[in-house]
Amino acid sequence: MLEWLLISLVGACCVPLLARVIARGAGFLIALLPLGLFVVLISTAPVIERGWVRSAGFPWAPSLGLDFTLRLDGFSFLFCLLVTAIGALVTIYADGYLASKSPAERSRFHTLILLFMTAMLGTVLAENMLVMLMFWEATSVLSFLLIGFEGRSGRARRAALMALQVTAFGGLMLLTAVMLIGNEIGTYSMAEAVRQADRLVGSPSGNAIVACILLAAFTKSAQFPFHFWLPNAMQAPTPASAYLHSATMVKLGIYLLARFEPVFAATSWGRNTVITVACLTMLVSALQALRAENFKSALAYSTIASLGILVLLVGLDGPAASVAMVGFLLAHALYKAALFFCAGSVIHATGLHSLRAMGGLARFLPLTALACLGASLSMAGIPPFIGFISKEFLFEAQLESSWELVPLAIAVVVNAVMVGVAGVITLRPFFMGRGKVTQVRNHETLALAAPPLLLAAAGLVISLEPGWITRSALRPAVAAVYGSPVKVDIAVWHGITPMLMLSGVVIATGALIVRFWRPIHERLRAVDRLDRLAIERFWGMGLRGLITGSRRLTRRLQHGDLRRYLLTVIAAMVLLLLWSAFAGGVRPRFPVPDTIEIAPTLIAFVALAGAIMAAVGRSLIASMVATGLTGISVAITFLLNGAPDLALTQFAVEALLVVLLTALLLAVPLSSPVTRGSGMRRFDFAVAFAFAAVLALGVIDMAASRHPSAVSDLYGRLSYVAAHGRNVVNVILVDFRAFDTLGETTVIAVAAVLARALLPHAHWAQDTAPPPATHFSFRMVGKPLFWLLLASSLVILWRGHNDPGGGFVGGLMAALAVAILSLAYGTARAERAMRVDPMMLVGLGMLLALCSGVPALLLGRPYLTQLWWEPASWLPAVGTALVFDLGVYLVVLGAVVTFLLGLQKEAAR
Amino acid sequence: MSLVYALVGAGIVACALFMILSRNLVRMLLGFSMLATGANLLLFLAGGPVTDQPPIIAEDASTLAASADPVVQALILTAIVIGFALTVVIGVLVLRAWKARKTIDAREINDAEALGQPRRNDPADG
Repeated sequence: MLEWLLISLVGACCVPLLARVIARGAGFLIALLPLGLFVVLISTAPVIERGWVRSAGFPWAPSLGLDFTLRLDGFSFLFCLLVTAIGALVTIYADGYLASKSPAERSRFHTLILLFMTAMLGTVLAENMLVMLMFWEATSVLSFLLIGFEGRSGRARRAALMALQVTAFGGLMLLTAVMLIGNEIGTYSMAEAVRQADRLVGSPSGNAIVACILLAAFTKSAQFPFHFWLPNAMQAPTPASAYLHSATMVKLGIYLLARFEPVFAATSWGRNTVITVACLTMLVSALQALRAENFKSALAYSTIASLGILVLLVGLDGPAASVAMVGFLLAHALYKAALFFCAGSVIHATGLHSLRAMGGLARFLPLTALACLGASLSMAGIPPFIGFISKEFLFEAQLESSWELVPLAIAVVVNAVMVGVAGVITLRPFFMGRGKVTQVRNHETLALAAPPLLLAAAGLVISLEPGWITRSALRPAVAAVYGSPVKVDIAVWHGITPMLMLSGVVIATGALIVRFWRPIHERLRAVDRLDRLAIERFWGMGLRGLITGSRRLTRRLQHGDLRRYLLTVIAAMVLLLLWSAFAGGVRPRFPVPDTIEIAPTLIAFVALAGAIMAAVGRSLIASMVATGLTGISVAITFLLNGAPDLALTQFAVEALLVVLLTALLLAVPLSSPVTRGSGMRRFDFAVAFAFAAVLALGVIDMAASRHPSAVSDLYGRLSYVAAHGRNVVNVILVDFRAFDTLGETTVIAVAAVLARALLPHAHWAQDTAPPPATHFSFRMVGKPLFWLLLASSLVILWRGHNDPGGGFVGGLMAALAVAILSLAYGTARAERAMRVDPMMLVGLGMLLALCSGVPALLLGRPYLTQLWWEPASWLPAVGTALVFDLGVYLVVLGAVVTFLLGLQKEAAR
Repeated sequence: MSLVYALVGAGIVACALFMILSRNLVRMLLGFSMLATGANLLLFLAGGPVTDQPPIIAEDASTLAASADPVVQALILTAIVIGFALTVVIGVLVLRAWKARKTIDAREINDAEALGQPRRNDPADG
């Protein structure tokens, strides 16, 4: 069976290309694919006949419980027969129907139809519910694509979207049900789920599982109140309507219900709900079928009524209901597909849609008229057609079930309406009203006439010669649905039975409806309340409300005010922190008070004073200076507390920030107009203060709970022994955590690329701007300072492994040297002094840092394991860590110079 | 001492946030720079007891004696440089905004909002 699906899938992708090559009759060749599958299926009939079940599969993702398992039993077999047989006819028919389309469009249609066939086969063959779900969703998507086949028509697009919304909602429900089942019983096997139906229903999620399954089935099979998508789906080309929206896809809901009957039957409300929904569907659709003006919509509403009957039969208990369901499934698929084909031929021939405009077409389309007659007789349940037999079964099932007579009465009425519709759609277009149509655009061809004729004939042949189909398809299917073998006796004449008498009533009423169709139709059409209360309208309103609502919400959330965004973020952080602290019952601890030294405290307060000054200062210059004051004070604090590396880096950064921000401040206006009112400022202060208060409490709590850090201890012990470095901070950066550092270096390189991209730059070193007018003393000392700083940056880089220093701070120092050069003599001079484009330095540095890890890789050690070489005891050890650090140095130097020169040049423009 | 540093660090963060909430882009930029400084100070405090011994192994020893926590310092060192790069990138953006729009008021940089809502006549509207 796996190979069937594979052939079907591959074939669906390749075979339709024939339609691009062959102008006429490609459909007959393409139909060989579904036909071949049909023949292969027939050859397995002896296995099915004995009541055996064929299985196949392979483990796909076993850890998820997802095994690609397939199962072919009687019920699946019946579906597969219908899908392949009607699939073959649809391909042939489509060739005639789409004759006026371009080869590319025909080929696209055939591809979609065959892909849909694959999806259908997969759905009914799947044993694992996840696999079934996958194919189930594929049918929804393909249905969407086929309904919207005429993508230029707005109505087709709308109908396609509506069908997708409804059926995809059902798909989500099915997903939920499958997940809940898998969660409950630990497997996604459908057989296992059905076997453990009582346990499923007894579980806490039992009701949810049943509700989700019912919703999935009702949406797919267009049951009230989800029925409205199906009449709209008639926007699809008629062959697709015949295939998807009457014969096969819409029956998947029935398939699902029949498979899970033991599950929903185990709840107290399952059967009641199914039967009530089925009855409502039947009534609503029968009414609408009488109101329908178009050939196709009359068929669509009668299809919904038939689906209602099928759902009703699944809901009823007793073996007769199963027999009736399977029998009616087959009969309906045969006659309704034929009728759709006929409707398609009429539309193709005349271009008319309205039933009232048609008449006397039997003269032009004799074969179609014959097929329509045969199919309609079957639909009306006239003996000896198969429709008659299935109707007998239907009444027998209702009489035998333990149900009251209301559903029976509804079934009688609905069947009478179906007789009426069958009569109207045959007599009006083809036989009555001669002369309404005087000429047709397209005459019938073999491709257009043969499929409906074959289907209509099948309806007759099966009822007269029921032996093979009963043995190999119907009886195994009933057994699979009911759970044990049931006697299935197909015969036209059973003697005078209550069922026969009911049939008589139905046919008599139906004849009256045909006779008085026009007044009934016009009277019903006049009741426009039915249109106003249509579910479709509410659906549309709901959708519009959703879109308007989300638009309003978006406008509210995306207001475009940066300050309010940030306020929201900060306030949310405060609230979340407080909430988690309260929820966890955490109370902050306080550290043991220790001595407070005067000098460090004063420096810390200078930092705080700087921060306050920066916050309240009016002028941007003052704010910048105050910010620098804070930075420098923090750097001194680092220095006082055993962190010389940090102090060095912070000093360099603060110095560079002054240079860079001055370039910025020279361009923008310094006196900043007030952008916040006093109320806003107070509010901002409150939020910022709240955040800081929470933060302070957290940090104090953290300081109170000191525990020795194992990782710091490890690095302290191994730094010299394993990594040949005495400065532990630097060893961590270039060796122990070199990969982290590599990432951070990359961030800086990316920032440089960003700055270069944002700032339009003149061609490198072709700046002709005159040097700035600087003070004489600065011009005198500029060059010596440059060399001094450059040399010291190299020293800092080199000694970093054993003493404070390293690549980061070295790079910053070197950049500072270039900054002095550009301040004293202008950017052009600084660029010339650099010799190369700073972006080159960034690239080179990245390359060095990346390559320094490769030697270890070659020796089979992890990437970025630093290697060392000690030539002699009096020579310094050299290692790849130095190359890495050099890379960092170059990246930082290149990046900062890119920022510096870019900002200075842009500001001066 | 840690109490003093915690309060000062939190104070710096509060001032920085107050500046970030301003609509003047340059003021925001300075706020970001200061926020990084305050956060670094608080992170440093997380490293353990306050001591003035740098994490450098003495000439005559092979392992690290009692000193400040080296891991935190390594973290902060890169944080300082990254914070610097961030500040400068914001600076570049502010400069570009000024050159292109002649404003450093966040409210007036609203080209995205001026584009309006997404198109209205999508098929889902019916």
